[in-house]
Amino acid sequence: MHSAIKLTVSHAPFCHNGSRISAKSYNIMLASMLAVVPGFYFYGLPAVAAAALAVGSAMAWELVFNLISRRPVSIGDGNAALIGLLAAMLLPATVPWWIVVIATFIAVIIGKQIFGGIGANPFNPVAVAMAILLVSWPDYLDFNTALVHYQFDFEPVTYPLLMVKSFGADAVETMNWMDLLMGRQVGGIGTTFGIGLLIAGVYLMVRGYIRWEISLSFLAGIIITAFIFNKIDPESYAGPVFHIVTGYTLIGAFMLATEDSSSPVNFIPMLLYGALGGAFTILIRNVGLHVDGVIFAVLVMNMVNPLIDKIRPKAVGKVA
Amino acid sequence: MMKRSFFGIFKPKLEYDVIDDIKGEPLVVSPQKKITLFIDQAYEKISDVALKVGDSVKRGQKLALTPGSDRYALAGRSGRIAGISPFIGISGEPKTAVDIDLSDEGRQEDDADFKNSSKPPTLKNARDFLEGLPGKPEFDVFSDPGKSIRAIVVIGVDADLYGVANQYFVKNNIISIKTGIDILRKITGVLDVVLVVPQHLVQTAGTAGAIVKTVDSRYPAAHPRLIMRHFQEEAVRGGAAAGKKSDFAVFNAESVATLGAAYNTGRLPLEKTLLFVSKDGNKRLASVLIGTPLKDVLNAFGETLNQGDRVIFGGPMTGVSVYSDQHPVTADTDTIIIQDSSQIMEQPGTPCINCGECVRVCPTNVPVNLLIRFLEAGQYEEAAGQYDLYSCIDCGFCAYVCESRIPIFQYIKLAKHTLDRMNAAEVTHA
Repeated sequence: MHSAIKLTVSHAPFCHNGSRISAKSYNIMLASMLAVVPGFYFYGLPAVAAAALAVGSAMAWELVFNLISRRPVSIGDGNAALIGLLAAMLLPATVPWWIVVIATFIAVIIGKQIFGGIGANPFNPVAVAMAILLVSWPDYLDFNTALVHYQFDFEPVTYPLLMVKSFGADAVETMNWMDLLMGRQVGGIGTTFGIGLLIAGVYLMVRGYIRWEISLSFLAGIIITAFIFNKIDPESYAGPVFHIVTGYTLIGAFMLATEDSSSPVNFIPMLLYGALGGAFTILIRNVGLHVDGVIFAVLVMNMVNPLIDKIRPKAVGKVA
Repeated sequence: MMKRSFFGIFKPKLEYDVIDDIKGEPLVVSPQKKITLFIDQAYEKISDVALKVGDSVKRGQKLALTPGSDRYALAGRSGRIAGISPFIGISGEPKTAVDIDLSDEGRQEDDADFKNSSKPPTLKNARDFLEGLPGKPEFDVFSDPGKSIRAIVVIGVDADLYGVANQYFVKNNIISIKTGIDILRKITGVLDVVLVVPQHLVQTAGTAGAIVKTVDSRYPAAHPRLIMRHFQEEAVRGGAAAGKKSDFAVFNAESVATLGAAYNTGRLPLEKTLLFVSKDGNKRLASVLIGTPLKDVLNAFGETLNQGDRVIFGGPMTGVSVYSDQHPVTADTDTIIIQDSSQIMEQPGTPCINCGECVRVCPTNVPVNLLIRFLEAGQYEEAAGQYDLYSCIDCGFCAYVCESRIPIFQYIKLAKHTLDRMNAAEVTHA
């Protein structure tokens, strides 16, 4: 049964829906531009420089690790670039260059590569980086000091979450949620323009690049918990809408909590993961030590993810 | 149809092909010089070999390696045996390939064995002659003392995408199916017969004298193992089999129709109906004699093969790619797909990123994302024990949607195969 022509022999299935990791990474980055470009507009060249350095250094770290560990070069999948971009979005525009480089080092090398690269990281790499930075160099990440030399056309030029934490809900009563959503607030490069993040989130959910169950339940967790706190003590705790449009909430819901490797894949676990993450965020913001809780809430939920992802439907035909 | 939808929020859908969309009558493809038949038995030099090179073979003759063996092939043309050689199947099954040089069209002789022994139809003559028919009917279950057959399930749908062979018989040959069902009832004594058809063939199927059930038009609803699961669950719910195992005998509509025709005419119809998909995606029906080499089929359709092309026997999800243009059409070749080398997608070796697409499309709720980690590490026993390896019905949907393009289906098949071999070895050495 010999043949003169050499045919390709491979395994089933012989067709594929065409999805690939790079398409997902690039789509998330593209969608993030809706929030990043307004950030560039608000904060000018320093923001552009920080974002460019973050993306570039993240890819460089990935390449360096690929070469040192003698593994296939994986910067083509876009994941390192995405990590860099997300890290930059969370940072204030005037952050020193070495903080950016350290952030991407922690994210790419410590957060992802030492666990075995893409898909093997138990924690969201960007959240790991931000958590370490927040603990190690809190001064450089303080939005009030970082942005003190900027001239803004809105009042007050103080980080809204810090105000509500220090002075109670009354202090932010003058803030209009529409203004906050339009980016008229102090914050990270890519975290203040809420409208952009919302559109990006809807786009990514509809395209199936992020799991809508996680994003929506995260937001629901925030709303419900904030509502309860607000009902109990309206003077100290701000309402749910305020919490949605400030801090890292929207970027957390759409881009941090939904990171593939560190989040569940089954339906009920996804809802639980999201809702508990949202609730944790508000708990940390309202009664915890930190000003914003998204990063730590995401990390805590990453930690319990393998456990809650065990809640899954019984396989068909399984006896026990 | 094969691409990811723009709106990824919905589950991917793969619709089965519908026979009504395939225009034209089947193209009859005749073998030119030779045919190759497979016997499901290892080729060993044994003393009382029934087949020798040079033996002449008549049309419809039963070919077995040893006299009286229940593993045999049926020759569709008369001729002379040109070669007998061992052949290894896709997962290592030992087979024997028998090459037959065909005699001229005018000098065809019919073998009378089946005709003489087929009246009246019995389970014995069905087992002795009909297991090589198109669609591969199997009669072993009826004589298995450990099984009590509750009903016969005739599958009038096709397991894989592009498959239309069974639908074709339901649509065009329901009378033969009815005859076949009546004969099956008579020879097995099982009176309950269920005919499973796609929605659009319900009316035609109603005339077959069996209970008609329909399946969804989305892959993998028509997968035989899913259909059987459904029947078994129904039997358990019905309570009829409380404490007692109830089994089903499964037949393809094609095999029931050819069985009916065989008993009616006393001749064995050995033409396999299949769908030929050419490089440009054109789908055409063909009626090909079992054993006809791929080359003759290609010539009949005017298709040429180049270096690096891929030929798939069976559907796009679960088929097998062959390595030679001499590979023969067998009794279960429902589809032949020719892919140009430019259509073949590369498989980058990225690890699982845990996106969960596979988990969401799995028809049997297997945690594929966890399973694949154990399979990649070769820990098959853990995979079977904790991660539901044996719930998998081999539909290949997980590998189709995999963003990392991991050959999940191949890993699963390898694991099942390895475990089977380990268990078999344990049994023999126990």
